Amino acid sequence: MMLLTDVVTALGLQVLTSGVGFDREVRGGIVCDLLSIVLAKAQPQDMWITIQRHQNIVAVAKVTSVAGVILADGIVPEQDVIDRASEEGILLLATKESSFVVCGKLFALLSSEEE
Amino acid sequence: MRSYVADLHIHSCLSPCGSLRMSPQAIVDAAVDRGIDVIALTDHNTCEMGPVVAHTAKKAGLAFLYGIEIQTREEVHLLAYFNDANACNALSEEVYAYLPDVRNDPEYFGDQVVVDEQDNIIRTEEKLLLNSIALSLEDVTERVRAHGGLPVPAHIDRGAFSLLGQLGFFPETTVYPIVEVWGATVPNECGQRAILRSSDAHEPEQIGRRTSVLTMERVSVEEILLAAAGVGGRSIRSEES
Repeated sequence: MMLLTDVVTALGLQVLTSGVGFDREVRGGIVCDLLSIVLAKAQPQDMWITIQRHQNIVAVAKVTSVAGVILADGIVPEQDVIDRASEEGILLLATKESSFVVCGKLFALLSSEEE
Repeated sequence: MRSYVADLHIHSCLSPCGSLRMSPQAIVDAAVDRGIDVIALTDHNTCEMGPVVAHTAKKAGLAFLYGIEIQTREEVHLLAYFNDANACNALSEEVYAYLPDVRNDPEYFGDQVVVDEQDNIIRTEEKLLLNSIALSLEDVTERVRAHGGLPVPAHIDRGAFSLLGQLGFFPETTVYPIVEVWGATVPNECGQRAILRSSDAHEPEQIGRRTSVLTMERVSVEEILLAAAGVGGRSIRSEES
């Protein structure tokens, strides 16, 4: 079973939120910056990879119950968005790598576990 | 109190996607031909053509609102309306400063020309206007209001460049009493908000293909807000034409 803590370590992600746990299971992922599409398609236990930093990402993550959000390309949201995520128990992660590279690494990581 | 037929979303030849035929006179002639009483010019990320279209409109007896269609960092299109040119210009200059320094490719995107009332080309805008500025929707909305403008999210029900498409739902922190809807069906998310419909014309033939009827004392941003709230018999009505 792959946990958030394994993903954060393996991908070298920066943790933006505080007080949010890492014990949720990760089984898949979604990469999308259009929140209407994420709302329609994201599954619980997905990692959501995006460059969208608008405050609505917190609500979308909450509603879809994704395991965590990875902001790619060095994108960091405003502090009030990070604070809101911490309050809501949404794990916000950041990386300087592109969405493409993050997806590749995450896919390889999840695939390695299935073997 | 009177009822004004309004088309408040029109692009001129300065927008890259706007036809070169969208000159001040062509815009005004089409509006008069379709029985429109008030127009707003809403080019992408600029209002430079505002004064010349305003002048042409007034000569033809049309009321005019200064406008701009801003593309925010989230790729949301936000319309903003102003009573006077100076306020719209001030906002437009702020927007331009946050527009990335990407050159327009006229072959691909189309020409971006500023023209005068006789259709003479005054200058060509080199920066690509159809691009996202480096400001959030909330930031832009605050700046519009700080300059006395009326922010209206554009075609919120479309798949591209719309608030609902990009952001999924209305942000909690920002209030929009009026939204522009493109299709026949008003999305449930709109709740009690007033609905404006306009043509989003890029060609003269498209002007007036959608209109709204604004019942109010006079044409101004303040009166439109009162009409949205239904104060004193004022109203905003629109239907897909």
